[in-house]
Amino acid sequence: MNNVTLGKYLPLDSFVHKLDPRIKICIMVVLMVAVFLPCGFWGHAIVGGFLLIALLASKISVKYVYKSFKPIIFTMLFLLVINVLVIRTGDVLIDFGFISIYTDAVIQTLYIAIRLLLMIVVTTLLTATTKPLDLTLGIEDLLTPFEKLGMRTHDLAMMISLALRFIPSLLEEAQRILKAQASRGVDIENGNFKEKISAILSLIVPLFVSCFQRADDLADAMEARGYIVGGKRVRYKQLHLNWKDVITLCASLVLLVFLIVVGPKLNAL
Amino acid sequence: MSIRFEKVNHIYSENTPFAYQALQDINLSIAQGKITAVIGATGSGKSTLVQHLNGLLLPSSGSIIVNDVTIKAKEKLSDVKHLRSQVGLVFQFAEYQLFEETLVKDVAFGPKNFSVSELEAEKMAKEALKTCGISEDDFEKSPLELSGGQKRRVAIAGIIAMNPSILVLDEPTAGLDPQGAKSMMELFVKINKTKNVTVIIVTHNMEHVLSYCDDVVVLENGKIIMQCNKEEFFKQKEYMERAAIDPPVVITFKNLCQQRGVNFSSDVLDVKMLADKIAKRCVNE
Repeated sequence: MNNVTLGKYLPLDSFVHKLDPRIKICIMVVLMVAVFLPCGFWGHAIVGGFLLIALLASKISVKYVYKSFKPIIFTMLFLLVINVLVIRTGDVLIDFGFISIYTDAVIQTLYIAIRLLLMIVVTTLLTATTKPLDLTLGIEDLLTPFEKLGMRTHDLAMMISLALRFIPSLLEEAQRILKAQASRGVDIENGNFKEKISAILSLIVPLFVSCFQRADDLADAMEARGYIVGGKRVRYKQLHLNWKDVITLCASLVLLVFLIVVGPKLNAL
Repeated sequence: MSIRFEKVNHIYSENTPFAYQALQDINLSIAQGKITAVIGATGSGKSTLVQHLNGLLLPSSGSIIVNDVTIKAKEKLSDVKHLRSQVGLVFQFAEYQLFEETLVKDVAFGPKNFSVSELEAEKMAKEALKTCGISEDDFEKSPLELSGGQKRRVAIAGIIAMNPSILVLDEPTAGLDPQGAKSMMELFVKINKTKNVTVIIVTHNMEHVLSYCDDVVVLENGKIIMQCNKEEFFKQKEYMERAAIDPPVVITFKNLCQQRGVNFSSDVLDVKMLADKIAKRCVNE
């Protein structure tokens, strides 16, 4: 469970870490759109170049990104198999007699793999450089306009931040229970189906029990400190934009506009 | 039959920005059939140390010998189950691990995992529950119906039912009332004496160390700074002062007497013996 790298905050000190969370969320949206524009391998190479610069500026190692991509390699292999069976255009690459692999199938898979990789880099860049609580603050701020439509952004933000806050606690708890049951001879990896079910039950039941207990305690603790659902709240931490934020946002917007204009031509290459 | 640590290091999240060395060059041997206390401040590596005993954590370097099993650095154990059936590890706040519908079923879960037949496991479970002082009327109750202290006892019974030759307890009395804590410690002494089980207890309670344990291992910042019997340990006034440990009342009393020129022999370790000695002196004078 310690090997989960996707979505984990990395406490480093870098240019990207210091950017305003609101700006980072906006840039993520912009880059996501850019990743999904149909602009061919060259277009993706440009996005990739932009992301590589961002990655260097964030001091996150490329190895770390590779580690988050590893679980998806299996999915890609699966996709390749499907594509090979379905796509029958382009030149024949290899002919096995009963089945032949067409170039388009391989290209299509590669294309999707590249898009997925870029997507992962974009999201990793956001989550690895922004503390979960800052992320919620950013989301809350960006949702403020919807307050006029009756959306309760404060409560929503509180819910998100509580959920985020308890992910590590629950992981820790799960690990603790897992260890305790392992000491009693539970072996999740080996054993037959029935043993596995009982092993999982021995983990889930205590986890649920302590979850509900925690939720109760937390609700009491919040009420004891005067929290009221829907009440008016002020904020201790204020976010301020500076020129670095604006420039970075502009750079990503320029990239997007460029791709929208030039993309179709690149795609035709 | 013994436990031996040889040059053991443990680093959490090695090769990441989160790397943290929890144990540093641990050399340690723990005597068979004794009760050993592991003490040290929070974060000194006590829990990490005991989790090495049944292979939940593997050393980053060095090796550990437990009975006939050798645990080597970064080498997956070939027979983890064999090791875990010999070393029973009770975690802090063990009551959170209960999950079955009835106490008997929950306690029998351990033995059943070690390929004991259903019937035999149930027998062992009932015996362990009795040893831990749970009344037979409660055997078919749900663990959720019990009080916190009783739940803890059931969880401990779940380990004892496995008949381990080494019993490791991580702060077993945390959060219990003094009476409950006392009877819990007496339970461990009973298991130690009747079944000749080696007991290792992580604790912060010096009164417990004095009254129930034989040997003491002291950890500080992931290093062992002392390893001796308890008589020797309670003579280390400088360490106690530095670590802000309040010695047990008997020891404090003896120290104060010593400052005033009255000495008691070092084998006087409980209130009753102390009272005897004082009475004898008064009569002599």
